[in-house]
Amino acid sequence: MSTHSHFVIIGSGGAGSEAALIIRKRDPKCTITQITGSKLPFISRYELPRVFDGVDNWRDLLAHPPEFYDDNAITVRRNSWVDHVDAKNKKVLLRHKEEVSYDKLLVASGGGGYLPEGLREFRPLMNGLGSYEDAVKMRQALPSKGHVIMLGGDMTGLDLARTLVAVGHKVTLVAGEQLFWPHEVEEKKEKKFVTVLEAMGVKVVLGKKVMAIRKGAKGEPARRVVFDDGGGINGDAVMPFCGLMPALDFMIGANVDIERGLLVNPELKTTNDSIWAAGDVCQIWSPEENSYLFYYGWHHIKEMGEIAAINMTGGKKKISTYQDDHLYINKQGDIDSPYWMYR
Amino acid sequence: MSNIEKPVYLEEKLEEIQASGHLEYRSKSLPTWCPGCGYFSIVEGLTAALNNLSIDPDETVVVSGIGCASRFPFFIDTYGFHSLHGRALPVATGIKVANDDLSVIVVGGDGDAFAIGGAHIPHAARRNVDITYILFDNGIYGLTKGQTSPTSVLGFQTTTSPFENHDMPLNPLMMLLSYGASWVGQAYAGHPHHMAGMIEEALAFKGFSYLHVLSPCVTFDKTSKTYQNLGMSVRPLPDDHDRSDVMAAMAQAQKTDAPALGCYFEQPRPTLADGLNDIAARAAK
Amino acid sequence: MQRNGKKATDLQIAICGSAGDGTIAAGDMVKRAMARAGYKVIAFDVYPPEIRGFGKCISRVRVTSEQVFSLKPKSDVLISLDDSHAIPHVGEVKDYGAVIYEDMPVTMVPEGGHISGHLLSSHLPYGVPFRELSERVTSSARSRNIAVVGYLAGLYGMPRDVFYAVISDKFKTKPAVLTKMSIQTFDAAFEVGENTFRLDEGVLKPPPKKAKHGELVMMSGNGAIAKGCMDAGLDTFFGYPITPATTIMERLAVDLPKQGKRMLQTEDEISAISAAIGAGYTGARAATATSGPGFALMSEMMGLGTMAEVPVVIFVSQRGGPSTGMPTKTEQSDLNIAVFGAAGDGQRIVLAPTNVEGCYKCAGKAFEIAERYQTPVVVLLDLYLSNRYEAVALPAKNPFAANCSKPVGKLGKDQPYHRYALTRDFISPRAIPGDKGRRHAVTGLEHDENGRPNDHTHEMMSRKRHEKLHSVVRYPGITMSKRFGDKGKVDVAIIGWGSTFGEILEAMIIARDEGIRCAAMKVVLLSPLPMEPINALLADAAEVLVPELNYEGQFANLLTGTTGRAVTRLNRVPGTPMHVEDIVDEIRRLAAKKKGRKALAAE
Repeated sequence: MSTHSHFVIIGSGGAGSEAALIIRKRDPKCTITQITGSKLPFISRYELPRVFDGVDNWRDLLAHPPEFYDDNAITVRRNSWVDHVDAKNKKVLLRHKEEVSYDKLLVASGGGGYLPEGLREFRPLMNGLGSYEDAVKMRQALPSKGHVIMLGGDMTGLDLARTLVAVGHKVTLVAGEQLFWPHEVEEKKEKKFVTVLEAMGVKVVLGKKVMAIRKGAKGEPARRVVFDDGGGINGDAVMPFCGLMPALDFMIGANVDIERGLLVNPELKTTNDSIWAAGDVCQIWSPEENSYLFYYGWHHIKEMGEIAAINMTGGKKKISTYQDDHLYINKQGDIDSPYWMYR
Repeated sequence: MSNIEKPVYLEEKLEEIQASGHLEYRSKSLPTWCPGCGYFSIVEGLTAALNNLSIDPDETVVVSGIGCASRFPFFIDTYGFHSLHGRALPVATGIKVANDDLSVIVVGGDGDAFAIGGAHIPHAARRNVDITYILFDNGIYGLTKGQTSPTSVLGFQTTTSPFENHDMPLNPLMMLLSYGASWVGQAYAGHPHHMAGMIEEALAFKGFSYLHVLSPCVTFDKTSKTYQNLGMSVRPLPDDHDRSDVMAAMAQAQKTDAPALGCYFEQPRPTLADGLNDIAARAAK
Repeated sequence: MQRNGKKATDLQIAICGSAGDGTIAAGDMVKRAMARAGYKVIAFDVYPPEIRGFGKCISRVRVTSEQVFSLKPKSDVLISLDDSHAIPHVGEVKDYGAVIYEDMPVTMVPEGGHISGHLLSSHLPYGVPFRELSERVTSSARSRNIAVVGYLAGLYGMPRDVFYAVISDKFKTKPAVLTKMSIQTFDAAFEVGENTFRLDEGVLKPPPKKAKHGELVMMSGNGAIAKGCMDAGLDTFFGYPITPATTIMERLAVDLPKQGKRMLQTEDEISAISAAIGAGYTGARAATATSGPGFALMSEMMGLGTMAEVPVVIFVSQRGGPSTGMPTKTEQSDLNIAVFGAAGDGQRIVLAPTNVEGCYKCAGKAFEIAERYQTPVVVLLDLYLSNRYEAVALPAKNPFAANCSKPVGKLGKDQPYHRYALTRDFISPRAIPGDKGRRHAVTGLEHDENGRPNDHTHEMMSRKRHEKLHSVVRYPGITMSKRFGDKGKVDVAIIGWGSTFGEILEAMIIARDEGIRCAAMKVVLLSPLPMEPINALLADAAEVLVPELNYEGQFANLLTGTTGRAVTRLNRVPGTPMHVEDIVDEIRRLAAKKKGRKALAAE
């Protein structure tokens, strides 16, 4: 198939990048534009912990070298934000007041780090890990043998925790509701995993609610996390790892159905015939569960990108909505997750 | 003024000339002009004027372009610059800008001034460069042996207008008046004493003075601006002519059939040097 | 001549916008500040050919710790003040370089009209709301260019104080509030830049220690000409506006009257040179400046200067030709007219500086030489050299001598003064108007020793006019030619003149780093040519390369004509400076050719 259509992909993460490549393979003459707020070409979130492991040039973390995009005629509009989507006129309006017309649109804007209500006011005192820049800032903030306090404990965080411990930092995990997110772990299994975590060198604080984050007193480490029981711990940095929130404010008013994510059918099409979605942003109809579900993890994301691309270019492929993503202990006795398979 | 009141005797005249001292201003080179050329009397007139005004020949530069008239600097004993065809005025301007103390006299013919050099006259005039421009107008190119010039009359036959000249002659006096020249006068080579007086007046004027001298070419013009024709047509400016009135001056300048002699217009105003000094004073602040 | 390699500072910034965006002014602030900080700076501005409106302006500034000789073909940073102009220049940003642009335009941008959609994948985008930043501080978008400079300075960690000084200097004649608001805008943007995570690979190390010989001054080629004129005691300047020489006249219009000296804008170029020769005749130091079309008009008067033996200096900033040609594009095609252009066979002196410092030197020395040899001296510049800026170390002591004219000695009683007296060095003692008892006339006619028209002296006087110039090749205090690179036998010698020599030198350094034995020679004195060093280099060289920005190879012709040696020409006329890489390619080709010959001989 070959058209002169303009495919616009919002997002340059795993789903968006995979979709762009598949679209190009299936339609050599079309125009492909990816739009991303990131300044850099695609770096997988799962690669970022390597920044703490001595990788100090972003070029070594890229999923594809820059030439890849030029060779495949994929325009990646970086440092650009979508203000809203005008589905009626098939236009994407960018924040810098430029309209980009599309024939087919794929929303693959992913998710931002979720922050529970009570923690939001302390955002300036926390370090995120949403981007390469965040990772470097975090590394620079951390003294040698520093102490990182993690809040929540989703799988990205745990991945980082392993790396930080391995390079000599101290990690304290204040476990919250999002511990092992997006895995859902039964309570009795949870204890086993926590034991393994502690064996890895991560100190786990259970059953405490974070009330506040403060700057450390003079002479003390830079941050203090205060608990509901009045106690607290000091650390050099505080990082929240409380799961992801779909990033799709800009889709409000675009005439598509939204619940928490963009609602799509198993072919990943939204309720608008020209708009598809893939990745952490979409909630897919699962006939098995009779509801819309999120599917996280690298291999899902990549698959979603591929399926959306196939369907956008005239193919017909459904995603397998059955999932078996369990947290487990591997042969070395370490905690492991299918979400880490990329490593 | 053409009235001769008493007979002139050669010996007496020679004594008078030698006693006057103006021969001091004459160079040892003999003019190369044709016998009878009006230009001889211009040399006489200028040397007499320099002498009368006691202008130091070491502080005087005569600048010319190219043409019969432009050989002038070789025949007068001052500093001289025989420059390029048409370019006497800008050269003189440069000399004057560089050294205000020098008296600068520009001489040239009608072709040099109004054909090739026409672009420079308005600017020398409007800037009011403190020089005296003596223009020898014979209405013909003499040095190249008789071709039409910008002041040749209609119907004039020359080697380059064998079927008669069809180009309207320029009116130099009108031009200079409209260019804003601050002193404009006309003389006739056939009236040397009057001309000497006019040269003296022009030299004494501070600012750009333009003296138009009607001067026959005895070799190549046998029909048009001859001594005979000019002598019969020239007249003095009316006694009541107001030299501060540019419109009156223009009215006189229009009467080309009967050229009037005398000072048409005079209006002192700041010179180029005054302007440049003012600029320097402002810049120094 | 080796470079420090990757560790040294080498950051080239291109600022692109419309006339009216303050593009050139922004570039100017950057280059002046960086020079003040002690970096080496070389810069070149490109103006629009349009008279008014929204033509494209580009200011390119290369900041280095080591001396460099040309701009790089690729910039490290592109700043867009107007995307429609900057988009075509995205390709000149190197891989992993930065593009800085307005992120909050005031009106809708047409689809495809924003620069963020045109970057190459390796470019790093920095979208900044410059307009908002500027309006927040000054309630006006007019200081947007200062915000751009502030952001750049913050992003690359440039020292702030030098920018404060440059901004204060820039607005010193304006109300104080302007300086204050400009510095506030600068600071606000600096902080944004400082807090921006830098991802591009531009290198700006802390400034090197201040040079011992004193402050470096940022100067354009034309600015250095004007400065050289002033330091040499120029008395009068006459000019007629013409791109790209006008800025010389504009500078002197300010500086000359301050010294009680005089500048006159004449009615045309003929008057300009005529007046300059008139002034030169009086003993004043006089000059004019022009470009190709004006220079063509001047050639007759230069002939008079040669014949009448009047000193005058003519600065010629070359642009694309023939005829009106390309007024805002650079070229080196007026060498022929400079060396040969006039009636008759009168040799004249032609100097061509190769960099901004050379402009200063040549300008000042041109007056000494014109006076000493009583003849017109042409100083050949080109648009690229006239408009480019370099950080120049000016000598602490004025290097130019005042009166170099050969004086008239005491004359015996009844011994007449002869303006064109024949002497051993063929230079006649010179009197000027006002000198007592030295009255004479000068003329464009052939003349005798006394200046009287005379055709019989032509043979003798022609010899005088030519012979007197020979010793100029040894004129003290100015480099007439200089050899760089390998000594002794070389595979390739590159000989060049004018602004292109910067690219030649860069190319030679690259070729030597690659192991090619080569040498480069700049020839500053283009007429009469310094034959001795040229012949020595030619004797050392297996191959000779002459790169120049003209179609005919005018300098190559001159070299071949005077030495009989065939040379390889590299001619380009794109209207822009030559590419270093083009020269390097040609050096490589010639070096390989030589190697091939050797191999053949060995067989």
